[in-house]
Amino acid sequence: MKNIYRYSLIVLSSLAILGCSEDFLEVDPRENIAEEDRDENFTPEDFVTGVYGMFTDYVYAFAYLGVTEIISDNADKGSSTTDTGGDKDVLDALTFTSSATSVNETWEHWYKTIGRANYAIAFAEEEGGENSERLIAEAKFLRAYTYFFLVRAFGDVTIQGQVEFVDGEPVVDPEVNLANRNTQEEVYEYIEQDLRDAVDVLPVKSAYAADDLGRATSGAAQALLSKVHLYQEEWSDALQHANAVINSGEYELEENYEDIWREYSENGSESIFEIQGRGEPIAHGVAQYSQTQAPRSDGTINGWGFNVPSENLVEAFDAEGDVIRRDATIIFRGETLWDGMEISNSAANPRYNEKAYSSSNLGDADGDKNIRALRLGEIYLIKAEAAAQTGDTETAMEALNVIRERVDLDPVDGLGQQELIEAIWNERRLELAFEHDRWFDLTRTGQAPEAMAEDGKEFQERHWLFPIPNNQLIQTPDMEQNPGW
Amino acid sequence: MKFKLLFSIFAILLTSAGFAQDTKNVTGVITDSDGMPLPGAEVKVIDKEIYDVTNFDGEFTLEGVEEGDVVDINFLGFEEQQFTVGGNDQYDLVLEEASSELDEVVVVGYGTQQKQDLTGAISQVSSEDIVKQPSSTATQALQGKVAGVNITNSDAPGSSPNVSIRGLGTALGGRDPLYVVDGTPVNDIQNISPANIESIDFLKDASSAAIYGVRAANGVIIVTTKKGKEGAAKVNVRSFYGVKPVLNSVEMADAGQYITYFNEEEAAIGSNNRLNETQDYNTDWYDEILQVGTVQNTTFDISGGSEDVSYFFSYDYYEEEGVLEDQKFRRSTITSNNTFDLFDDRVKIIQNLNISVRNENQKPFGAFNNAYRQSPLMPVFYPNGRYGASRYNTTTGEATYVAGPDESIDNMTEHGNPVSQVAFANQRSNSVNIQGSIAAEFNITDELKFTSRYGARKVFNRGRNFTDTKEIWIQTDPNRTASEFESLKAQNPDNLSYVNNALSMNSSETYKYNWDNFLNYSNSFGNHNVDVTLGGSKEQLNIGMQDDYQAYEVPSQEQYWSVRHDSGEYDNQVNQYHYTPTNFMSYFGRVEYNFDRKYYFTGTLRRDGSSTFANNADYWGTFPALGAGWTLTRENFLNDSENINFLKLRASWGELGNANVPFNQNQILTDPRSENMNYVFGPGQDLILGANLGSPAQNLSWEIVSEFSAGLEYELFDRRLTGSLDYYHRTTENTILEVQPILNSTFAEEFFDHGAEVRNEGFEFSANWSDEVNEDFNYSIGGNFSYNDNEVTNVVNNYEGQLGGGLGFGGKISKRLAAGQPLGSWWMYEADGVWQNQDEIDSNTSLGSARPGHLKYVDQNDDGSIDDRDKTYQGSYIPKFNYGINISLNYKQFDLSVDGFGVGGNKVYNGLKAMRLGGENVSAEMFENRWTGDGSTNIHPGADRDIEASSYYLEDGDFFRINNMTLGYTLPEITDFISNARIYLSAQNPFIFTKYSGFNPELSGYDPTNSDAQGPYGNSGIERNAYPITSTYLIGINIGL
Repeated sequence: MKNIYRYSLIVLSSLAILGCSEDFLEVDPRENIAEEDRDENFTPEDFVTGVYGMFTDYVYAFAYLGVTEIISDNADKGSSTTDTGGDKDVLDALTFTSSATSVNETWEHWYKTIGRANYAIAFAEEEGGENSERLIAEAKFLRAYTYFFLVRAFGDVTIQGQVEFVDGEPVVDPEVNLANRNTQEEVYEYIEQDLRDAVDVLPVKSAYAADDLGRATSGAAQALLSKVHLYQEEWSDALQHANAVINSGEYELEENYEDIWREYSENGSESIFEIQGRGEPIAHGVAQYSQTQAPRSDGTINGWGFNVPSENLVEAFDAEGDVIRRDATIIFRGETLWDGMEISNSAANPRYNEKAYSSSNLGDADGDKNIRALRLGEIYLIKAEAAAQTGDTETAMEALNVIRERVDLDPVDGLGQQELIEAIWNERRLELAFEHDRWFDLTRTGQAPEAMAEDGKEFQERHWLFPIPNNQLIQTPDMEQNPGW
Repeated sequence: MKFKLLFSIFAILLTSAGFAQDTKNVTGVITDSDGMPLPGAEVKVIDKEIYDVTNFDGEFTLEGVEEGDVVDINFLGFEEQQFTVGGNDQYDLVLEEASSELDEVVVVGYGTQQKQDLTGAISQVSSEDIVKQPSSTATQALQGKVAGVNITNSDAPGSSPNVSIRGLGTALGGRDPLYVVDGTPVNDIQNISPANIESIDFLKDASSAAIYGVRAANGVIIVTTKKGKEGAAKVNVRSFYGVKPVLNSVEMADAGQYITYFNEEEAAIGSNNRLNETQDYNTDWYDEILQVGTVQNTTFDISGGSEDVSYFFSYDYYEEEGVLEDQKFRRSTITSNNTFDLFDDRVKIIQNLNISVRNENQKPFGAFNNAYRQSPLMPVFYPNGRYGASRYNTTTGEATYVAGPDESIDNMTEHGNPVSQVAFANQRSNSVNIQGSIAAEFNITDELKFTSRYGARKVFNRGRNFTDTKEIWIQTDPNRTASEFESLKAQNPDNLSYVNNALSMNSSETYKYNWDNFLNYSNSFGNHNVDVTLGGSKEQLNIGMQDDYQAYEVPSQEQYWSVRHDSGEYDNQVNQYHYTPTNFMSYFGRVEYNFDRKYYFTGTLRRDGSSTFANNADYWGTFPALGAGWTLTRENFLNDSENINFLKLRASWGELGNANVPFNQNQILTDPRSENMNYVFGPGQDLILGANLGSPAQNLSWEIVSEFSAGLEYELFDRRLTGSLDYYHRTTENTILEVQPILNSTFAEEFFDHGAEVRNEGFEFSANWSDEVNEDFNYSIGGNFSYNDNEVTNVVNNYEGQLGGGLGFGGKISKRLAAGQPLGSWWMYEADGVWQNQDEIDSNTSLGSARPGHLKYVDQNDDGSIDDRDKTYQGSYIPKFNYGINISLNYKQFDLSVDGFGVGGNKVYNGLKAMRLGGENVSAEMFENRWTGDGSTNIHPGADRDIEASSYYLEDGDFFRINNMTLGYTLPEITDFISNARIYLSAQNPFIFTKYSGFNPELSGYDPTNSDAQGPYGNSGIERNAYPITSTYLIGINIGL
């Protein structure tokens, strides 16, 4: 019996060897890098690139089309009758609800973009290093650009808590209640502060190294600031910043309107800010931006054919005798394009968005198309509108005519203030068609009910703002819904 | 330290030498109760090295025994017997057949027990039950055989079934039970040949599974492979060959019906396009893509042993061709299990080795989906040899790709040619799986045994996918030519759409090992029987790496398909990384006590550490369990009962853990292929890789399952009626959910956090009646029934709403997690009739896109619009109950068995029927029932309908299927050389009874190309790309030498 104890002891001590060290349970991750090892492995630049990356997500290739263009009088859903594109049919018909997936996806994506910017800013502040000031300013520009979407689409929106490093751990400001919506004024103030910081810190376009082409510039921040003031009807501020951009010497209008969307004019003289896409391998386009909008059932291209120019838009071009911009904006079925591409007569839809057309990537998933987000042409129109609103019709007409002359339209002359403002609004429509501004212009200027009625859609009181997505309200039941939804 | 231990053992061995006395030889004959000699019985003098095995005539001889020696006779299937050597030299003994299955030994984890001594719910199935139903993975064969174990099969070659024990308790990826193969914990048994399995034990309740606390929350399945038995070499050859036609095919609309349906749809959407009434082709796509599959399996094994060494060696080849052309699965398995008894039985070395080589040609299951949808007017090939395309001339209404001037062509459907889809798929994978263990058992004393066991598994996987981009491009449209492709290629030199071909390769290797050390102590003190197990285990999983390569334009000959031989015109892409391993460390102990085999108590305690919970370094969890049993038939009042032979009550309680979450720590994510993490800068648009922080890790710990279980075992009427009845209530108290962050919060990645409770409550019942009517005829009829009720409760605020069950396109989903519902519950509109006309739509609440003929959906919240808030929870795909029926008859040399299996109380979604982009074909039944205009029907939608998920497409998942019918004939003894030979005919799945309108109501969600497809929020329960049910008709032969 004694032996039993002895051998049991021996065996038990051998068991103890087996488990003597707790270290065995401390496993180091290998697939992804642990956040605590960030210093050696990542720079602030990596995270700012991660913010830019959000702009090439599929959300900008599909959901975004729904909430900026298809919903408006410029565009119809397109594609085949039975392919709804999830909710593009009900956006087009203005019968969507708070469950519309496009609304849900853009809302979420915009907030996640802001989240990445918040982390990137905190990281750059924590780590410092080369270019960190500039990188923070770039992230602020992207954050402001994104909040601007949110405030235009939803009105009062939550300002997400900023990130701070506490004992080396990233902590989101615990004071912020995600169910709470800040007022539009607060959001605009936040956007302006970011943009002012960006204007001060960022280099002008020509001051960047060649490898940095595509980054946010001081001019981009200023241009956006001008637009942000326009939306708040702060005319003199809008005018001042528009002038600053125009007079900066950094930008010049393209001579030919259609050249703006060619590959050779990417980041060209008129370009203030673009979302960058690469078509060559390893391709990295704005997800499927060109594919979703390319001609459908064409035989060669095989795009999805969504977001197609409406009859109403064609009429608007024709009413103005605006051939150049019509033909640069719209692909017509059966047309032979500038690059020799013949669009088949059997294409599913009569018209397609030419500004999304990629010559070298046709119906590919990843395309080379850069989305022109801010360009000098629009700044002239902001200048014109701001000046007209302040009563300076001379300046306004001068700026407006710069844009009209480029496309061989007669200059306007001798218009009264209200007439002039409406002419500028119409000019915005024709100049900026399919540049994702139409719906926001309609709601900003109050033209929406009338314009949508002309397009055969019933604009109701609730449509001034998009509904807060139902999924958000499930998560934060205390958040208030927009009126009428 | 280890050396010291060995020395100690030698020391014991040396002291056990005895002293010589007067000896003699005894002989005898061992027979069964019918007087038939029993060859191969072990005859052994207790405590001495005197030993023999009976010869063919049942005779034995023991040399050098003394009077008073006790001789033990042991023969499998018979009651053990002993006699004491007296004055006689001849001892003839009759062994009684083991009458009760309760004497069977079951494996309980780090030990064994007799079935009658269990306090927990353990079901054992033996090798005969496993090989009766031919399968590539043993669990597939056990559907309907074990109460409380729900097995969902897919008939796809090489598929793995969903196995859930006593309900589903977690929403995580790790839903599978733990498999323990000869002591090595693994997560599947696809590498084990079913013919090599001796037994499978299902540890169903918490008290029996608790010894594997660390990963036992989903139940434990212990697999014991065959070992050699002492005696002359035995050879077994088993072989079968079978054919596998599709069962329960859906009848599709033919050309004429399709044309009507198509034209009605076009009219309804306001299009002027029509198809002509007469067309050239009437293709039945299922006829075109489906073939009769085949299956064959040959197993050879040889086993035997001497006093000191026993061996088992087997080779198994399994080959299956699926119902798609060239869809193949092949597996070769070599098994070598050896046991060495050394040092006078003081040390036993057990070595197991299993090498399995798998080889698969995968074909896209999407072809089943396309075949359902594709127009019958489209041919497989046009007369000129080009693949058919879904084209028609909108001007003439003819289904052709040819258009005259001013005529135009459109697609009938948006789907490709199912035949070319199968033909162009060129995907191979193979894997080598080496698994083995070596264990040493030291009998320190007769009562105390120490075991040390090292088990390991190494897996190499390799996959290859060749895409003939050019040929696919050309064949997509009959008008396209190679020169067109070449010119596009010249114009777009960098465009990957115009490469001649693309080759992707991937390989991975993983390694895992476990090292277990434990002591078993077993002794009796009068009527007090005690059994103690104490030990520790260390385990490391997922050590390995993965490589992915993508290259372009390799030569067309298959032998050159490697990255080296690419054209070099395009940049290759390479991705390589290491997996993060998972380490486990555990200590466990178990005490079993019984008094006179009447009152039983078991206590188990396991303490586990898992490296997963790194964020808070909260690695450890402790899992206790208790069990008690009472054998009523050992009490005086039942002792003499004639009808009640055995009756035992048992009850148990225990806690189990689940740590199957990905490594939990704040991690920075990078991905060169991500569309939203990287960006291009600079004039050359260089791709710059970015990074972002994933959602910060929550402080996670173990999922804890606590279970109360009670049961009753019975053997009645001269042991003819046997079975058990069990009740259980198990709660996963802190279920880990994959949580979607709040939409407007900072971080985007879904993260893991404890967020709900999942309750499973149910009962299991099994009964088996078997009787031997006379010498020539015996039979048994058995059945089992399991009922389980699953419910998610107490969901944490903000954590509700995990979505899933994607329906393939349009962003439509069909499942959502919510409190008060079962896991994987359906979430969709309630369909209530059909819109008859536009007036009705205008004057009622409708979806914005509604047209006459569309389904009406109920405005549940009466807010005047139809949206997500009107979707309701409509049950789950998980069956509430399942049952099995097993009948077997033996008459003289014939044997017949029939097994049936059924489930019920669940819903499945007919995604084939529901989802359409427009122009698709429909089933003949859908065509005949359709809405054709105002007043035609208020149940079935018209040709133009939407793709919203609704109750209309949600159908009862109930079915009853005959799983197996087998007729066998055992040949009379022909020669001495062949000890037994049996030939049999078998039909698997010959019949199914179901009201479901699709192909197969049993929808595991298995997809060979997508490992995430299975699961409560994946494709399980949705028929879209699901493999159809196949019947198997086979003939087989078993020969024993």
